[in-house]
Amino acid sequence: MATRDRLSGSGVSRRDMIRIGAGGLGFGLVGGIGPVPFVLNRASLAAAAEQSGKILVVFEWFGGNDGLNTIVPYGDPMYYKHRPTIGIKERDLLKIDAQFGWHKSMRGMKQLYDEGKVAIVQGVGYDQPSFSHFTSVSFWHTAAPNSGNEYGWIGRTASAIDPAGTRGNMIVNISDSQTLAVKGENHVPLVFIDPTRFQRGVFAQEKPVLDALGAQHQPFGDAHQYVLEVTRSAAQASELVRAAWSHYRGKDNPDLRLLDLDKVAALIEADFPTKLYYVPLRNSLFDTHVNQAAPHDRQLEYCADAVAGFFHEMQRIGRADDVVMYIHSEFGRRVPENTSLGTDHGTAQVNFVIGNGVKGGLYGTPPSLTNLVLGDNLETTTDFRQVYATLIENWLRADSAKVLGQKFETLKIFRA
Amino acid sequence: MANRTGWSPGPPEWKEDLAPITGADWNYDRAAHLLSHAGFGGTPVEIQQLADLGLERAIRSLVHYETIPNPKMQPFVESGLWDSSLNGFPESRPEATDRALKSGVSMGIDTKPEGNRPVQPVSDRFFYWLRATMLETRRLGYWWANRMVQTTHPLEQKMALLWHGHFATHENKVRDYRKMMQQIDLFERGATGNLRDLTIKVAENPAMLYFLDAQYNVKGAPNENFAREVMELFTMGVGNYSEKDVRECARAFTGWYFDNLTFKVDPAKHDAGEKTFLGRTGNFDGVDVLKIVFEQPVTAEYLAAKIYRFLVRDELSPDLRKKLGAVLRTNNFEVKPLLMVILSSKDFYSQASYGGHIKGPVEHLITMMRHLGVDEVPGVPDFNQSTIAMGQHLLNPPSVAGWAGGKAWITPGMLIERGNVAREVLIPDMTGFRDWNFGAGSDGVLGSRLRDGYDIGAATAVGDPSRMSTFDMVNLERDEQFNTRISGYIGWQQAARKLIPTPRNAAQFDLTQMVLQSEAKTAADAVDYLLWRLLRVPTAKATRDALVEFLTRELGTDSLVRAKTYMEDALRMTVHLIMSTPEYQLA
Repeated sequence: MATRDRLSGSGVSRRDMIRIGAGGLGFGLVGGIGPVPFVLNRASLAAAAEQSGKILVVFEWFGGNDGLNTIVPYGDPMYYKHRPTIGIKERDLLKIDAQFGWHKSMRGMKQLYDEGKVAIVQGVGYDQPSFSHFTSVSFWHTAAPNSGNEYGWIGRTASAIDPAGTRGNMIVNISDSQTLAVKGENHVPLVFIDPTRFQRGVFAQEKPVLDALGAQHQPFGDAHQYVLEVTRSAAQASELVRAAWSHYRGKDNPDLRLLDLDKVAALIEADFPTKLYYVPLRNSLFDTHVNQAAPHDRQLEYCADAVAGFFHEMQRIGRADDVVMYIHSEFGRRVPENTSLGTDHGTAQVNFVIGNGVKGGLYGTPPSLTNLVLGDNLETTTDFRQVYATLIENWLRADSAKVLGQKFETLKIFRA
Repeated sequence: MANRTGWSPGPPEWKEDLAPITGADWNYDRAAHLLSHAGFGGTPVEIQQLADLGLERAIRSLVHYETIPNPKMQPFVESGLWDSSLNGFPESRPEATDRALKSGVSMGIDTKPEGNRPVQPVSDRFFYWLRATMLETRRLGYWWANRMVQTTHPLEQKMALLWHGHFATHENKVRDYRKMMQQIDLFERGATGNLRDLTIKVAENPAMLYFLDAQYNVKGAPNENFAREVMELFTMGVGNYSEKDVRECARAFTGWYFDNLTFKVDPAKHDAGEKTFLGRTGNFDGVDVLKIVFEQPVTAEYLAAKIYRFLVRDELSPDLRKKLGAVLRTNNFEVKPLLMVILSSKDFYSQASYGGHIKGPVEHLITMMRHLGVDEVPGVPDFNQSTIAMGQHLLNPPSVAGWAGGKAWITPGMLIERGNVAREVLIPDMTGFRDWNFGAGSDGVLGSRLRDGYDIGAATAVGDPSRMSTFDMVNLERDEQFNTRISGYIGWQQAARKLIPTPRNAAQFDLTQMVLQSEAKTAADAVDYLLWRLLRVPTAKATRDALVEFLTRELGTDSLVRAKTYMEDALRMTVHLIMSTPEYQLA
């Protein structure tokens, strides 16, 4: 494996980076001011490196993806009845079987599917669904539909894996602001969008003062405490991310368009100890109320190409067996098309779980197109927390009931 | 060294107490607290003036600002990019070119009678306006930022900024800086007026009508977008209405549309039938349903809490929320009485409210100007690029939900950017600066190929045409109706030709004079003065000592008199470091 080379020109080996990375952010931030920085000893370092095997990447397709025009039920004549204009023609589909086909733009993910690496889960949602983007996405983020939780499901999963919060950089969130899903009680997520801008610009003579910036140990309130904590963690985190990015070759390949998954690939290649990556799609075109075809085609193509490219990168760096990607939106869309050649906010949606560890195929009961619910909507046949539980339990090997507050039936989508 | 009022937050028991403080509780530090929350901070002279007014007159001067002259407010000077052929601008490039293919003309541009790419001028025209309105919106952002810096009515500007994030629309979708300009005007005029009236005007505002798809909300085929957001985000909050209310509300707004910059109702498309909305039945129109929305107790609480969180601090108890809502409701949704109560209250001056507010990026940058006594937002660094880097793109909030605010402003990345922006303001990179308005990004590569003499096929090739044979290049040239990639470049060029350039001057201020006038004698005096002037929450002694050590080392002496001929840059670095502290992010 080529990944153990010394990083060219830096004098830093990848093992050194693990060491820095493992100590980077884990100093018991939330709920008190811990020693700065937390430094792991050699033995726990080794343990951290060993444990870092399994990685989950959540790729959130914000905007409300139209599942029916993603995995198309072309075998059901009701589909074309509901969607006389915007329904995808049978001849345009990348067929799965006599019932379903991939949207024509999704060659990248279809290829992975043909290799047996994609589980398609249909009819995913929750009872009494919200039709608001912001409300529904907050339900997905907290795994608490029609309720709430201060912390997100990814943040809580980090706590289930490492309750003491001793492992640093457990969660990475590629976003310009922190996604609710990653908010955790004892793990501060590393949130960034542009690695090259992720550094303090300082003159050499200013450097000695930088460590004193967060020296105030008596916070005057919640807001102050929060900013102090982030100040202390920001310096180390930025150094690590920039080192990883500058050594990542994928970014120089113009044909490899990974959306924001390129930053995930860079960190994985640099052996970051991160187990949980959360990437919400930016500049989403999925909210297709009007003239849906062109933007939806384009968005699916960008996304499917990015997912395929990402797994090629995992292959190249030798980590394909360690990574699973989970794709979901905040809801699907209304079954009948609207008068603006688009679709309005809906209910149940299609999810994807992708990776070498996945048994590819169709999962979940496809919702009926005849018996619609809640005003022309799809019935939910799989609670989204069943998918979460499957990922937490069967992939990350953590206690899903601890994260989700109750036991959910898992799906058998992982290889034994 | 002059005697300065120290940090003096009220006692903890003032928290959540809306009773007013008394004249005896009033001092310079409380005035500084008031100006940093109800405005964008100020210089010690400005704060002293406010303090000298006394408690009641100080607060009244901020809230009842109408009679205070505001001489620097000037109208926005437009570059002249728009003309009436752009009215009814197509929603997408395909729509733009389809119009031309059907009728031979689109956006005032004819197709060519013969030759290759007959529709190219139309495609170019489409991209011209996309670039034009984007570039002019950047100028508009500058103009607004300067109003915030130069105004004598800081609370008016601060509230306008709140309403922009609350009734959020973004130019990216609206694609018309003129409509965004109309909105800034609406938010300024309605900044502290009646909230019911403001919400009705927002519902009739062309940017909002377009942003939330009013044109698709017609009798028989209602579009729920605006109806849902007006209740969920603008007035009541989720969970206080049913899905049926959303549908009925949408019906009430059917037929509302705009023509150019004017609100109109099309009676033929309006559903005048009976609706049942929030328990009331009648032949309601949009104004009627909004009036019903403002009869709901939850609306007053939702909006009062929004104002409170923006001006005071993130956390408030359900009890305080109820009390504030009652004030707003009792006063018929007039904002000024609520502001008077909040800004006079013990709660506002309690320790919990001191440093309880994380400044938003725009607020942060404007505050820097006002702290430094700078009277114009500099051209270097670029205002828009700076605030975007810190997480807030003025006139382009990320969604209809606006900016989350509070702790969401601070991540490791955005915190680092705040320090970086401070450095660029204090020690701008004048020689490295490039004006992004005149750099066409990836379109620029294409442009240089065209200027190097490649035809359109070769210029838009994926590979590098200078490494291709003539044969390859001939094959690349093709017959087509138009080429959109070239249009991105041409559109930018055409827009930039007309665009009024943004002056690229550095911020003008003199820290040497500032510090000497404070009667500081030593490096330690200078640091103490700057900390006192800039921070609303005290920093640690270790930070202060590190700054003193830094400044002394940079000056090569402890004596400011000895160093006065060369100390400007060292002082600027000191302020850069102070503005990078966690404490400086708070108000």
